Amino acid sequence: MIRTIFYVVALCIAFRADAAEIATNRLEVSPPEIIIGGLNREQQIIVTATTDDGRLLDVTHLCAVDSRDEQICSAEGPRLLGRADGKTSIRISYASLEKVVPVEVVEFDTPPPIHFQRDIIPLLSKTGCNNGGCHGKASGQNGFKLSVFGFDPRADFNALVKQNRGRRLFLAVPESSLLLRKATGATPHGGGRRIEPNSLDFNLLTGWIRQGAPWGDEQAPQVTHIEVEPRQRILGMRGEQQILVTAIYEDGARRDVTSAALYSSNAETIAKVDEQGRLATGEFPGEAAITINYMGHVGVTEVLIPIQNSVAAWEGIPVNNRIDELVVAKLKKMGIVPSALSNDATFLRRLYVDAIGTLPTSQEVRRFVEETQPSKRQLEIETVLQRSEFADYWSLKFADVLLADRKKIGERGAYVFHQWLREQIASDRPYNEWVRELIAATGYSNKYGPVNFYRALDQPEDMTKAISQAFLGIRLDCAQCHHHPFDRWGQEDFFGMAGFFNGIERKDLSDGSQLVFHKGHKQSKLPLTGELVETRALGYDSFVNLESSDPRIKLADWVTSEQNPWFARLMVNRLWKHFLGRGLVEPEDDLRATNPATNEPLLEYLAQQFVESGYDIKSIVRLILNSRTYQLSSETNDSNAGDQQNFSHYFVRRMPAEVLLDAISEVTGSAEQFPGMPPGTRSVQLWDNRLPSYFLDTFGRSPRTSPCECAKSSEPTMSQALHLMNAPEIEAKISDERGRVALLLRTKLSRDELVEELCLTALGRLPESKELEVAERLLSDQPTRHAAEDFLWALLNSYDFLFIK
Amino acid sequence: MRSKNARGIARRDFLRVGTVGGLSLAEVMRLRESCAAESGNTDDINCIFIFIIGGMPHQDMWDLKPEAPPEIRGDFMPISTPVPGVQISDVLPQIAQVTDKLAILRSLTHSKSVHQDGYHTMMTGKEPNASLDRNNKNNNQHPSLGSLVARLGNQGALPPYISLPNFIDSGGPSFLGPSYGPFVIDADPAAPEFEVRDITLPVGVDAERSLRRQAALQQINQLERQVDSQIQALDSFYQKAYSVMTSRRAKEAFNINVESARTRESYGMTSIGQCCLLGRRLVEAGCRFVSIENGHWDTHRKNTKSLRELLCPAFDQAIPALLNDLSDRGMLEKTLVVVSTEFGRTPRINDLLGRDHWPNAFSIVMAGAGLTVGQTIGATDKQAAAVIDRPISPADVSATILKVLGIDYTQVLHTPLGRPVPVVDEGQPISELFV
Repeated sequence: MIRTIFYVVALCIAFRADAAEIATNRLEVSPPEIIIGGLNREQQIIVTATTDDGRLLDVTHLCAVDSRDEQICSAEGPRLLGRADGKTSIRISYASLEKVVPVEVVEFDTPPPIHFQRDIIPLLSKTGCNNGGCHGKASGQNGFKLSVFGFDPRADFNALVKQNRGRRLFLAVPESSLLLRKATGATPHGGGRRIEPNSLDFNLLTGWIRQGAPWGDEQAPQVTHIEVEPRQRILGMRGEQQILVTAIYEDGARRDVTSAALYSSNAETIAKVDEQGRLATGEFPGEAAITINYMGHVGVTEVLIPIQNSVAAWEGIPVNNRIDELVVAKLKKMGIVPSALSNDATFLRRLYVDAIGTLPTSQEVRRFVEETQPSKRQLEIETVLQRSEFADYWSLKFADVLLADRKKIGERGAYVFHQWLREQIASDRPYNEWVRELIAATGYSNKYGPVNFYRALDQPEDMTKAISQAFLGIRLDCAQCHHHPFDRWGQEDFFGMAGFFNGIERKDLSDGSQLVFHKGHKQSKLPLTGELVETRALGYDSFVNLESSDPRIKLADWVTSEQNPWFARLMVNRLWKHFLGRGLVEPEDDLRATNPATNEPLLEYLAQQFVESGYDIKSIVRLILNSRTYQLSSETNDSNAGDQQNFSHYFVRRMPAEVLLDAISEVTGSAEQFPGMPPGTRSVQLWDNRLPSYFLDTFGRSPRTSPCECAKSSEPTMSQALHLMNAPEIEAKISDERGRVALLLRTKLSRDELVEELCLTALGRLPESKELEVAERLLSDQPTRHAAEDFLWALLNSYDFLFIK
Repeated sequence: MRSKNARGIARRDFLRVGTVGGLSLAEVMRLRESCAAESGNTDDINCIFIFIIGGMPHQDMWDLKPEAPPEIRGDFMPISTPVPGVQISDVLPQIAQVTDKLAILRSLTHSKSVHQDGYHTMMTGKEPNASLDRNNKNNNQHPSLGSLVARLGNQGALPPYISLPNFIDSGGPSFLGPSYGPFVIDADPAAPEFEVRDITLPVGVDAERSLRRQAALQQINQLERQVDSQIQALDSFYQKAYSVMTSRRAKEAFNINVESARTRESYGMTSIGQCCLLGRRLVEAGCRFVSIENGHWDTHRKNTKSLRELLCPAFDQAIPALLNDLSDRGMLEKTLVVVSTEFGRTPRINDLLGRDHWPNAFSIVMAGAGLTVGQTIGATDKQAAAVIDRPISPADVSATILKVLGIDYTQVLHTPLGRPVPVVDEGQPISELFV
């Protein structure tokens, strides 16, 4: 435990800036002119120096800031506080550089009236009061409930001002209000102290109560958007950067909201950010995006931390195609040198498992390794893409995401849905066409596969979430109840989308199946107000004539159209994640402006290729497989060992549950017999995801209860290790009388041939000295059958078998 | 939500670190292990959580109402116990003798009267909302207590959360993911052929052969530079699994046959008896949370006869045997024993001589772990129908259990979609147990 604390503390200390002593020649201050007005009476500044070699260096917290007239404006470091109306200036000095910036303080004596929604709600968000873990959760906290992130300001106003007979506020002595006593910790508060006495926040709240706790002027200008500065910045390790956030109001007024905005980093070890928008980079090169939220308006600051002292090994890095050019361009920017090309055997095993969920046989390995044709990888990729296992594996992947859960849609439903998906893949039908058909599906559930998608989902709200998630990569769950905290979507968007599904009927038929159809368009209501919402697709104005037919047809057209900014991007990102181990956007199905791709030009390129190919999944798979990027070794060099974002090496990963079970069956030569399935059925071919299988459950098959990829787990557990080592089922495969070991021994192979055959089958490569030594020891001092089984057992438990490298 | 508990803060910070990109899973594993090692696993309090499936009739066992009319009070009579003023049912004569080791909580209350909703409520501490799909596996809306312990607690040599003998879905991990589900023993230790999956060597592989295999595997794996974090993470589980197989103590924890006939019989050769004994063995070897699900208490018909002849005798033997055994071994102070259930049963006996579902007021029991025992907490009205004093919510029970197990129950978890979820929703530890 002590070590843990130490570790955490050590990480924090390491974030201190060490920018001193770098030669600089120019100083920039933002904002260039400062007007402190409104209620918050503070202004964050950013001070940027330009180094002699042309880099930008944030010296906001390293420079000295002096006010010419402390009576008008005082400086607490780089944060200026208004003290009285008037004009003055501040002098900023760093090293030998100096800059003077004019400052004007206005509205100090006559502050504008406080508006609850505009001024108080952001404060409740910043202090965490209306967080979903506290008073913002559905049941509130200890009888005090706020709407999460303040999405329902009227209700919050009632909760504070009117509920509980108004005892939360004490108008006569604002400081004694229960709200403030709790928030400052003067009265015991489960959430601890959230507001410091006499801070700006404290004064704003007491000021509001003193004004009589008004709702505010209905005409008061509201926030239209926020501006974030800087948008992008290249930093060093252990560097820092102050972020400046400005809210723009309907009347054009600008107000500094840096200390009122909420910040979150998508990669905290790369860059952390504190509550005041001060970002600190860590010990690792990489990239991070800081999402900034102020009252539902979002912005993002992207930082990039290249490797500092990288060798200039850039000439002559080979590229196979455009993917490689774009990856290498990024690697150059980051100072990362990619790994070497993988060897043939490693490539082949990787290709088989990733593309068709199958290990190559020993003959296939031998043939490929011995082949001398220079374009043999390209040829092999073509061969693999034509194999029927491609459709098996990819229909499994789609069935997981599209909720083909037998428990929910029944045996017949799961069977026909799976069959339908498989046909779409096997016939190389364009992705946009079959998705379009699925979204608008109408028909009998026991005959027509895709309607079962609508049987897996109960309510229009569930369909809204599933379709947004599965085909657009937009996680709309949040927006069902409140504005999405990190995206642009609100309840109007959610229920606008839900309107497409209101008329969906599932009529029970006598044979236990259902007829799924849409009985006509009906708008959704906003749960908060009961207002009808115009039915519309996300970020899209409206559709004409939704009444004339099944409105899903128009939605399906929109989802799958070339103009849709998410449809192609999501699919190529899924494919990229599948083959490269990490999405260009991560999580792969969470596309939003505040979650940028680590290589946007590459994502853009792939999406464009997908559209141009006529939404041909295989063409993108082919492009990826032929890239040198995909074929790189997983062995890292000094510069790319820490790279998790830029695809400078292959990411090692364990075989997925179904693939692993099939691989064990294949290597032992002892097929798995699934109840009710024809003999020889492989687990990637199963249409029934609920067939009892301890193995598949333990290794994490998808429960198919959520369209989110996050539902599937590949985390290791102790049960997995115990099962691989001790399970009688696996032992029975190893020692199967008709299995591989028994068979090979009957063919009178020499010991070396036996070892070679087992290694080729299990590991996809010839034995190395370690396997040879182990085999030598095992096979020399005991009966051959047992020894060969023990050797195979060791191979099956080895990381070279379990992992794709 | 800030905890003042030093251990809680460190744990939470560490978990936050664990969720970000740069720290590998393997590094996280190592941190976890160092946490476990340095906090000294022997100091940890472990839990045996006995869940009575079907709904335990509170008025016939723990909270008798002899003054009520016959159709309410039923057929059982209160008997005195070593604790002055505390009486329980004459159908539990042996438990009555150890009442000084029990805290009887008589004022549990929630609003869910369907079994699956009740399991969810009492096994996770949170009432499910209407979208709970009762037919669907892995559909918890909140992680079970066992999964929370697996995710947030220190770990020992055994899997941290073990469920036996018939796992029910509400014991699942919910959004924490399958890795925090229980190690399920789906066999009854009372059965003569009882064996735990994957713990013992398969038939045909003796200890000598197993050692040979392990040596071979280690050589194949170790010669390589295992730098990848995924591999390191699995490797740490392999090491642990290997230690379970080779450490006599860990492996034998699962082997109930090494107990003497006298000990086994003292618990009763019944499912609940042998599960309790196995539960004791598992926590003794370092499992943090053993969940024992004991079925068939849904007495809609012939309530009296079922309790008297089928259900209570085994229960009445097992619980005192467990408490006495833990006490004799000096483990009672380090072991929390909970007897929980999804709800109580209706005040009025129905036409089939049974009682139906009643979540409005019911009883559960806690013991051990240094809690203040020999007391009853809360009270119901004259018909055992409504709580009239000190209502206890399922979340209060969760907060109590997690607090005892050294886990910061005020912390907030995040779902994969980023939604913050408090570990315990508004529950407070039951203060009377800590005086």
